[in-house]
Amino acid sequence: MPSSEWVEMNFGPQHPSMHGVLRLKAKLDGEIVKEIEPVIGYLHRNAEKICEMTYFNDNLIYFDRMDYVGAMNMEVGYLEAAEKLLDISVSERVKWIRVIMAELSRIAAHLVWAGAYGLDLGMLTPFFHCFIEREKILTIFTEVSGSRQEVNYMCIGGVYQDITEKAISEIEDFVREFPKRLKDIYNMFTKNDIFLSRTKGIGILDKDLAISYAVTGPVLRASGVEYDIRKAEPYLVYDQVNFEVPVSYKGDNLARVLVRFEEMRQSLKIVDQAVKKIPDGPYFNPKAKKSLMIRMRGEGDVYARTESSKGEFGVYIVGDGGVKPYRVHVRSPTLRNLSVLPELSKDVMIADMIAISGTLDLVFGEIDR
Amino acid sequence: MTYTVQIIAESIGKDGRKIIKVTRENFLDLMKDLKNQGFDHLSLITGVDRKDFMEVVYHLHSMKTNQYVVVKVETRDYRVPSVTSLWHSANWDEREQYDLLGIIFDGHPDLKRLFLPESWVGHPLRKNYDLKKVQYINMDEEGNDYATFDERGGW
Repeated sequence: MPSSEWVEMNFGPQHPSMHGVLRLKAKLDGEIVKEIEPVIGYLHRNAEKICEMTYFNDNLIYFDRMDYVGAMNMEVGYLEAAEKLLDISVSERVKWIRVIMAELSRIAAHLVWAGAYGLDLGMLTPFFHCFIEREKILTIFTEVSGSRQEVNYMCIGGVYQDITEKAISEIEDFVREFPKRLKDIYNMFTKNDIFLSRTKGIGILDKDLAISYAVTGPVLRASGVEYDIRKAEPYLVYDQVNFEVPVSYKGDNLARVLVRFEEMRQSLKIVDQAVKKIPDGPYFNPKAKKSLMIRMRGEGDVYARTESSKGEFGVYIVGDGGVKPYRVHVRSPTLRNLSVLPELSKDVMIADMIAISGTLDLVFGEIDR
Repeated sequence: MTYTVQIIAESIGKDGRKIIKVTRENFLDLMKDLKNQGFDHLSLITGVDRKDFMEVVYHLHSMKTNQYVVVKVETRDYRVPSVTSLWHSANWDEREQYDLLGIIFDGHPDLKRLFLPESWVGHPLRKNYDLKKVQYINMDEEGNDYATFDERGGW
């Protein structure tokens, strides 16, 4: 059939956190997708330019708004880079608090994904169960920081306020109760024949192709590469906790689903250890507080990478010795994950294309920045 | 590491990563060299506007050996060779830098803007970009976005 007879159609959004900002231009031959082109930029607000115009400590809120379903991981990513550039160290206690928050945030982000992915495939029940569980994590975030999603809890030199006894007991409750709830949710997916037939063997991502597209995170690990920055280049105290990196070799939709579920279990394991090991100490480095008033200055260029819930989140900051960053560039994992979608959606059914794009876990605050 | 091409300088950055500086003439050969040495993961391409020249920074990583290297190349006429033929991820990375900084990547298969509409005037991350001139975006009948300076022409 000549290409002029193909039908061009617009698709999207397929994820509650995408709220109308992903447009997939698809060329269809009947029900078969021939070509697909993601059109992005609808949420672009050039956070990198804004960062050049504000002070180092004030920039943090723009990072919260990148991956808004798992904001703590974004804060960790920015602070890893900013603190290196400004030569500010944090206490052991702060490092453990950050690990707890980052891992809880990863679970919260994966729960949004799991619920949304169920919706993509027409399952409503897991969505409610996922959001009930997620709400418990957001309650913990509210306890420590006062807000639910874009928490703004960490700051250069530490965290804004110490973790409270109440928060710790809430976390302990969560760690105790969550495994059973997670198993229920897991069974809703994997004991469902319709779900399995729509994910097994569909959207296979080859290992070499994945690396060439710079895909990271669960998507890469589902294609058989054991690469996790928490192991490859440990930051905070990830070298002092026991956890495994889940890897699957099939590279299909189901593999990406299973890897994320296993990751939630491993994150819970880390939180469990961290709550027990958390040492006493200051929650803020006074050096940062002092220089907060005279504005911190940094020179040189620093790249720090962290493992966010979507993959390698990198922050590259160039400082010229001034009170504001000279250039900030964010390596967004989801942008790379999205760029592989045209490759995966060649000659598949429309319904499969939706199922494939769901497993990539697209969050647009981070893609468009 | 050994290189077959001449490099300008080699140093260790503040974050402990090795930085290689290279001229634009030798740049593509060096990148091919590094690709063959196992740097299969192009993590990031960044353009830094140094006002009188543009610095393009490439972060390379090897999945197998977990090595990391940073390549820097400077350009005065905002042109550098494209590395899309070596790494697929460079395609969108280069489009992003072209979009926001106006760096032209010679040999890119389809160099067009990634985030902003094609008719957007200027490149926002340039240091001399005029922030006072507000541009509005609208959609034409075909469904394509366009930018306009007219306040009433936008959404």
